Amino acid sequence: MTEGRISFELKNSLSELKKVSKNLELFGRSLDLPQRTIFKINLALEELVSNIIYYGYVDDDDHWIKIAISLEGGVLVISLEDDGIPFNPVEAREPDCGCPIEDREIGNLGIHLCKQFMDDLIYERRGNKNIVVLRKDVEEI
Amino acid sequence: MEVIEKRQDDISIMRLLGRLDSNTSPEFEQKLFAVIEDGERSIVVDFEELDYISSAGLRVLLKAAKELKRSQGKIVLCSMKEYIKEVFEIAGFVSLFPIVPSVGDAMKKF
Repeated sequence: MTEGRISFELKNSLSELKKVSKNLELFGRSLDLPQRTIFKINLALEELVSNIIYYGYVDDDDHWIKIAISLEGGVLVISLEDDGIPFNPVEAREPDCGCPIEDREIGNLGIHLCKQFMDDLIYERRGNKNIVVLRKDVEEI
Repeated sequence: MEVIEKRQDDISIMRLLGRLDSNTSPEFEQKLFAVIEDGERSIVVDFEELDYISSAGLRVLLKAAKELKRSQGKIVLCSMKEYIKEVFEIAGFVSLFPIVPSVGDAMKKF
């Protein structure tokens, strides 16, 4: 079974998301992961990271978001750590996806997509850090 | 990302290339709304060469579809990769947008 691990840090700026896709491409290529798998991880990470950048900080300072991705025993484990204000994505409000277009709210979809694409989402507040761990069984993607 | 625009039979066709994410969606939003503000009511968005979409891209499409709905216009999406279509399904967008296999099919929707 192929195994691997990658970790990197992002500054709290949207342009840093390019690092996510670049790193995922390298990681995916080295482990021979299919494009749709890379896509799902990239989407899940973009949604969580952009959420942290938009809403996580109350000052104008630079902050770092730590990301680690590993594949072990056929399971992808993705962890994010940030020092923003407490935010638990597990409890984020679900959008109403069944209503007509006039009533559909614009936004609020990101965390929903992330949850749907991953098998498991765990949140923990540790000190002044938000820790989010995502799991995805690669056999089924 | 790149947006290639063309007009054919009174329909605007916008071809997306690359990635529609938090960084590139503002550019697409600006181009799409410029077309709508010009009075265009029939718009096709061609996803054939789009490799990535996130909620930032969905947001732009929903905003445009709401705007067009108010003015009796329509937006049709076509040529999506299977994994991109899955995003539309999970978001519940397949009931909000006609999604068809090709540009030719999309043109017939008007």
